Amino acid sequence: MSTIRIRSPASYWLAVPAAAWMLGVVVVPIVLLVWVSFWGGRAFSTASPLTFDNYARFFANQTYLKLALSTIVHTATLMAVTGVLGYCIAYFLVMKVRSPGWRLALFLAFVVPFWTSTLIRAIAWVPFLGVNGVINQTLMFVGATQSPIEAFLYSRTGITMAQVSLYTMLAAGPVVYMLNAIAPQLREAAMTLKATPFTVFRRIVFPLTLPGVVIGQVLVFLNVMSDFATVATIGGNKHALLSNLVLLFYEGSQIRAASVVAVLLMICMLVGVVIALRVVDIRRLGAER
Amino acid sequence: MIGWKGRLSLTGWILGAITLVFLAYQWLPIFTLGLLSFSGPTGGTTFPMNGTSLHWYEELWRATVMNDFKPPLVRSSLLALACSATTIVLSVMAAQAMRGQFRGNGWFFYLMLLGIMAPGILVGFGFAIMMRLMGVELSWDTTTFLVQVSWTLPFGFLTMLAVFNRFDKKVEEAALTLGASRLTAFRRITLPLVLPGVIGAGLFGFSLSYDEYARSMFTTGPDATLPLAVMAQLDRQLTPEIYAVGTTTTFFSLIAVLFFTLAFWAMRRSTSLRRSSSA
Repeated sequence: MSTIRIRSPASYWLAVPAAAWMLGVVVVPIVLLVWVSFWGGRAFSTASPLTFDNYARFFANQTYLKLALSTIVHTATLMAVTGVLGYCIAYFLVMKVRSPGWRLALFLAFVVPFWTSTLIRAIAWVPFLGVNGVINQTLMFVGATQSPIEAFLYSRTGITMAQVSLYTMLAAGPVVYMLNAIAPQLREAAMTLKATPFTVFRRIVFPLTLPGVVIGQVLVFLNVMSDFATVATIGGNKHALLSNLVLLFYEGSQIRAASVVAVLLMICMLVGVVIALRVVDIRRLGAER
Repeated sequence: MIGWKGRLSLTGWILGAITLVFLAYQWLPIFTLGLLSFSGPTGGTTFPMNGTSLHWYEELWRATVMNDFKPPLVRSSLLALACSATTIVLSVMAAQAMRGQFRGNGWFFYLMLLGIMAPGILVGFGFAIMMRLMGVELSWDTTTFLVQVSWTLPFGFLTMLAVFNRFDKKVEEAALTLGASRLTAFRRITLPLVLPGVIGAGLFGFSLSYDEYARSMFTTGPDATLPLAVMAQLDRQLTPEIYAVGTTTTFFSLIAVLFFTLAFWAMRRSTSLRRSSSA
């Protein structure tokens, strides 16, 4: 017995507003994008004939294909860096910090930026990366270089550096959650059976946290693939990823081309998520606890 | 060769060093932004600061039409409050509905998850096209509001779901056995007990809406929200004024987090006190 009866009409009606909102604002617009990407002609109307021309035009252009490839390479780099870094931090916070007070303090120091604007945090990297930026000033002060290096602002390196600081939290969060859920007895049992610490990690801890790792990677993947704001802030006009291309076409009123890129972006993401779901079952994750 | 205990503490030190270096890496830009916003009137966008002053904050306060951040700040705050309230109501309803295990609740769960997974650029772009087809004028208080709730709602929903999972159903049962109606039991017993979760959902609603950029960019009309105004200013010119805006909004965000956290603690303490005094 609870305040809501199982399978009652009330439970159904309570879910309707949220479901309608999500359908109307997320699902329908995305389906619409797919439709618009097949529109032929020039007018913005629902009567446009359907064609594959928009896609053909995209795939005929070498520049766009290179852009797509570099988007994937860039995203993979970030997934690798934030994955390793995030796991190290999560492991340290949960397994190595003994005092609860310290753990809370470090954890807060780690998470609090998540509650502030990603855009502002990206902008905060600008004074660091410029030719006269903090990094160059430090390097010259230490004597590592004579003249400033121009490799940071308006470069892929700078974008990567900023995004690592923005998204490592996403990779680490789910791992923290999974590490917390591991019963200490499991590790003790393995230790008693004379497993070395590394074996305990490899055979017990890591497999148990794998779902967390995968979910973290999915979050980083989705965010980096669609993060045009950081790229625009730090890369200036010199660097673009697929998501910037959507914006570029949109601002140029090329709705069809923008939809094509958006749909391709969506397909990349779907493939990524499906691969991840083959490794872990998100539904089961919530149910077990 | 060192023993495994030595190696264990060595890994501890290495991991600790990595964590500390990363924390510095994460916080240094934010602190630098704050520091540079206080640079002198002749200060540039990086060091040296050329003295310290409140010059850029004064500029910010005096600013006129083009780079006036006050109206966008008001808009963003109102929007965030509206999103927060809507998220709270809808996510409590939706999570309560999930407890009722209505037909199709699996699909419903995936639908909400989709709201988190679907990137802002796709949702915003698609929604803008839909509005154009329907002939609806874009505006921060209508279209932007609709889109932002689709982003904040799933987070509130997952929070409430987690809270209800840990919820002790026996207290509800006791109230119902004693003759309370379902509505009364929910209002008097269930809701007060899950209130900390409700506050968490509200924080998600406020903070995610306040900082949202991608979705707003496609769906906001001529009157910009704060992140849009910041980005527009960044496109025009980079001055320490941007740093002053950044510092101010970051400060606002932190205040909001602090406020919600304090409310959360107060609620938890009062519910646990009530529980221990009644036990």
